[in-house]
Amino acid sequence: MNKNHQVYFGFVLFSLYAQKALAAGDMSDSSGGLPQLDISTWPTQLFWLLITFSIGYIIISTLVAPSISTVLENRSDKISSDVQKAKNAQENAKKAFSSFEASLNEARTQASNTLANAVNEAKSDTAKREAALDKKLAANAKKAEDSLAEVRKETLSSLEELATEISQKIISDLTPVKVTKSVVKKHVSLHAKLQN
Amino acid sequence: MHSPVEQFTIKVLYSLTFLGYDISFTNSSLFMVLAVLVSSGFLYFAMRPASLIPGKVQCLAEMMYEFVANILDSNVGKEGKPYFPFIFTLFLFILFSNLLGLIPYSYTVTSQIVVTFAMAFTIFIGVTLIGLFKHGLHFFSFFVPEGAPKVLLPLIILIEVISYLIRPVSLSVRLFANMLAGHTMLKVFAGLAVMMTGAGGFLLVSSPLPLLVIVALTGLELLVAMLQAYVFTILTCMYLNDALHLH
Repeated sequence: MNKNHQVYFGFVLFSLYAQKALAAGDMSDSSGGLPQLDISTWPTQLFWLLITFSIGYIIISTLVAPSISTVLENRSDKISSDVQKAKNAQENAKKAFSSFEASLNEARTQASNTLANAVNEAKSDTAKREAALDKKLAANAKKAEDSLAEVRKETLSSLEELATEISQKIISDLTPVKVTKSVVKKHVSLHAKLQN
Repeated sequence: MHSPVEQFTIKVLYSLTFLGYDISFTNSSLFMVLAVLVSSGFLYFAMRPASLIPGKVQCLAEMMYEFVANILDSNVGKEGKPYFPFIFTLFLFILFSNLLGLIPYSYTVTSQIVVTFAMAFTIFIGVTLIGLFKHGLHFFSFFVPEGAPKVLLPLIILIEVISYLIRPVSLSVRLFANMLAGHTMLKVFAGLAVMMTGAGGFLLVSSPLPLLVIVALTGLELLVAMLQAYVFTILTCMYLNDALHLH
């Protein structure tokens, strides 16, 4: 700052000198001194400074400054109230979100419980049905087997009967030997047993 | 050709006398009135919308207000609040006097030592009275720095008192000298340009050079006008702080 000022004032002095040198031939109409040092002009300046500055002070302190400070205060009030509102809204949103999360969790556990129950039920139902079906099937198979065995037995016994009759006939036709039915039957059953 | 300081001459516009004193309405008075009217008028009309979200002009007015409010707050603190209207008026008066003075053919009120000294001296007296009212005789402890060696105390007190008394002088001369120098320099270069055109030849060809310098200097003077208003204001705040808080 100081150095700048020195350069500044040096510059002014130089330019004053240059001006004087250039104006050497001219008639200067100034009295030589600075007008600022003309004491006769001081009272008017002091008087008008007092008047204008006082009027300025009155205007600014009563009109201008209050109007600006009111606006600034209103703005800062508005900003702080808005910030408070935003904070409240944020808190509400947080609350709503946490309650939503809780209900979501509840629904989730409920759903998984329901699902597990349904699965269990279905499983037990399937098992029951399977067991019943197995039983039924086993019974049916047994029945079929039984009837098959009976049919077989019947068939076999009727077959033996037929073989006995045929054999007795053949023997009586081809040989003079007379055999009783019971003997033939005995042999047939023996052969049948051997065949089997 | 007029002298470069011719521009500072007081010209009477309307003759007036009061109790034998010449209190004529002069070009200086006119620009004092204009400084007050323009500054307060600008702020008043800029704040007319008084809207929550300011426009460009309102924003500028608010910035000026907050600028001064911040200077006062950071230098004096809360106790400075009652003095805000005065500090704000002071800032605006000096700022608009300086700025209006930059308009060609206008008059720079603050280029008059009597004006700047009257303001600085009023502030000096006012600040001293504030200090005396607030602290009573304890105010004079302001001139006794703490922890100074006892032997040097008379010398230190002397220096402190002189530096305190010199305050209005340095405050007023700073503003006055800056305005005087700036405007003189502008005038000198303007005169140089005119003379060079008259001289013909090489000087005539190179005469736009001083004009370019004037353009640059006008920018500089704009800065100085604002800076000096700021400096005057901040120093006033510092003096006020000294009076209220005694170091």
